[in-house]
Amino acid sequence: MGLHVIVPVKYVPDIEKVRFDVKSGRIDRSSAPGEINPFDLNALEAAVRIKEKLGGTVTAISMGPPQAESALRDALARGVDRAILLTDKRFAGADTLATSYTLACAIRKLGSFDLIICGEKTVDGDTGQVGPEIAEHLGIPHIAYVSEIREVSNDRILVVSDLGDGYYLVEMKLPGLIAVTKDINVPRLPTLRDKLRARKAIIEVWSADELVDVADVSRFGYVGSPTIVHRVFFPSERGRKAIIFRGVDAVDKLVEVLIEEGLLG
Amino acid sequence: MDKNIVNELKGIVGEEWVIEDIDRMLGYLVDETAELVRPPPSRDVVLVKPQATSEVSEILRLANKYRVPVFPRGGGTGLVGGCIPISGGIILSLERMDRIEIDRDNLMAVTEAGVTLGRLIEEADRAGLFFPAHPGDEGAQIGGLIACNAGGARAVRTGVMRNYVKGLEVVLPTGEVLDLGGKLIKNNTGYSLMHLFIGSEGTLGVITKAVIRLYPKFGATATLIIPFNDRKNAVKSVPKILQSGIIPLALEYVEKDLVEKSAKRLGLTWPCRDGKAFLLIILAEADEDTVYLQCEKIDSICKENGSLEPLIAESRREQESILKIRSEIYSALKPETVDILDVAVPPASVGELMDKIDEIERRYGTYIPVYGHVGDGNLHPHVMRKEGWSMEQYEKIKEEIYMAATELGGVITGEHGVGYIRRKYLRLSLSEEEIEVMRKLKKLFDPNNILNPGKVVP
Repeated sequence: MGLHVIVPVKYVPDIEKVRFDVKSGRIDRSSAPGEINPFDLNALEAAVRIKEKLGGTVTAISMGPPQAESALRDALARGVDRAILLTDKRFAGADTLATSYTLACAIRKLGSFDLIICGEKTVDGDTGQVGPEIAEHLGIPHIAYVSEIREVSNDRILVVSDLGDGYYLVEMKLPGLIAVTKDINVPRLPTLRDKLRARKAIIEVWSADELVDVADVSRFGYVGSPTIVHRVFFPSERGRKAIIFRGVDAVDKLVEVLIEEGLLG
Repeated sequence: MDKNIVNELKGIVGEEWVIEDIDRMLGYLVDETAELVRPPPSRDVVLVKPQATSEVSEILRLANKYRVPVFPRGGGTGLVGGCIPISGGIILSLERMDRIEIDRDNLMAVTEAGVTLGRLIEEADRAGLFFPAHPGDEGAQIGGLIACNAGGARAVRTGVMRNYVKGLEVVLPTGEVLDLGGKLIKNNTGYSLMHLFIGSEGTLGVITKAVIRLYPKFGATATLIIPFNDRKNAVKSVPKILQSGIIPLALEYVEKDLVEKSAKRLGLTWPCRDGKAFLLIILAEADEDTVYLQCEKIDSICKENGSLEPLIAESRREQESILKIRSEIYSALKPETVDILDVAVPPASVGELMDKIDEIERRYGTYIPVYGHVGDGNLHPHVMRKEGWSMEQYEKIKEEIYMAATELGGVITGEHGVGYIRRKYLRLSLSEEEIEVMRKLKKLFDPNNILNPGKVVP
């Protein structure tokens, strides 16, 4: 028995190191190494803990370039049983709608499942939309911003959802989807043994052709993406400045400068 | 402080950069030395912040003329009171001299003294290069790091600060500027004056600029945490790893209670549940396959010595978090620490040194946490506060640890330096003849003893 938990993961550039091409508004992916989206590590950890408690299996699924295989190997080292990579030029250029549609089709293709656990968002896209959209495509209930799993059984889950204005205790019937925040757990480090095993493991690779029986191919990738990026801009960096104010009117002068700089209303 | 001297200083660096108000310079009076052994700073001081080598030169000429002590300082991260103004004088902060240029073609950085370690790491990274050394606190400044020949965790393969310095601009206490070395890997021209200033702890000259050797970025890195149930087995594995042909970037020894305490203070979690004693090994190679081959080799060596299942961190974030927990053990222990020692012995004698420290711990009925750069033979035993103990009792423990290291062919300090607080123990490591040569050198460079007086030389 036990649950079949599916964790969609994304291969992202190390966002603290990656450089942006200001002119084209694109990320220069060659400027930083790729890694598993940090929020997805929390999702994987939550899934593995459920497996440890109730038994079952965890499947990780990722849509991305062939290099995304390394994110899936990392997932395997961290306790995932099966890993599937969706890679095809026809998937490229997808917005959140096409991405969630593709992932939902792949999940449908996998057959039965009990729970999908996503990270709250990805560090490169930052939308937080893909998780709930997958659930909508699949017609299952979903809870976002889950910061704690209180109880989980074979047919229901009780979680705390942190919506900013308060903590909501929510119960959901399975199958369903939750998107988890960083507060939910501290992801474990893989053991060397698991890492070495994962390096040799087989990653299943699916192209768009594998999904034709469950999907409308025209809804994949760039063609299936209604989002138009109108303009990308960067907040300008301002250097530090030090001014020393002296004399009796120092405070007045300081206030004046702060207003001038737009730092004081 | 003489008003005329203050006015002349203002004439050199500008009024804004001469600070007389003691409340505005409290952070410049101390460093990271533990409180009980830290010398009390003089309050008869003026803080000066020059922006150029020419200004540093003028300040030193002025100080030499009026015989005013000058206390140069960098980030103030030292642990032996090296930059503390122990008498009235000028505190010379190099913080405004913070220009840095990366020369990708030659794999070198040209940095002014006030550039922080954090910034050097960042700028090198931005240029696709790497600065391997990691002497703990990233707020340390290059001038201070060189003056103190800092060491730290990532010294096993590429060495301590001295190994990276290829060129140095130094202002002598009499005001002359020396431009030593350059962007050269080989340089055998005359005496190496440059190396005399490295590790001189601000007593022979003020370092204003340096050429630092950088390394290409490694294609793959990993941090291994290898747990053991007891220390002996962990330490026993170290020489075997080093003999196997693997030269890691870092090879550290830590214990469970220490890393958990440090992690808690940082709001982090120590990732390893098993074991009490750990080896932390940072590997860096051109490609992932080599790193994994090394991991397997290290694992089999450690397993032969009874290790448990190692954990591996590969992402930058996870590796940085482990290094941070290790680097900040001192900060976590600091409130209860009387003194952090940094004795060094020949690497193969580390286990013996630990046994001796254990024996001292038992005999005195106190707690002496020990961790450190086990791959370099450099350990950090802490003398800890104990209810009802006097300074004499603490000093006794310290002396015993120093003696233990010395008997094994070691020295009293492997990386923190002598500064103020280790001067009285210098004779345990150096002969009278060596100290006499040091005195003569000091006199030659600084005839009026104005530069960081009362430090290093007893």
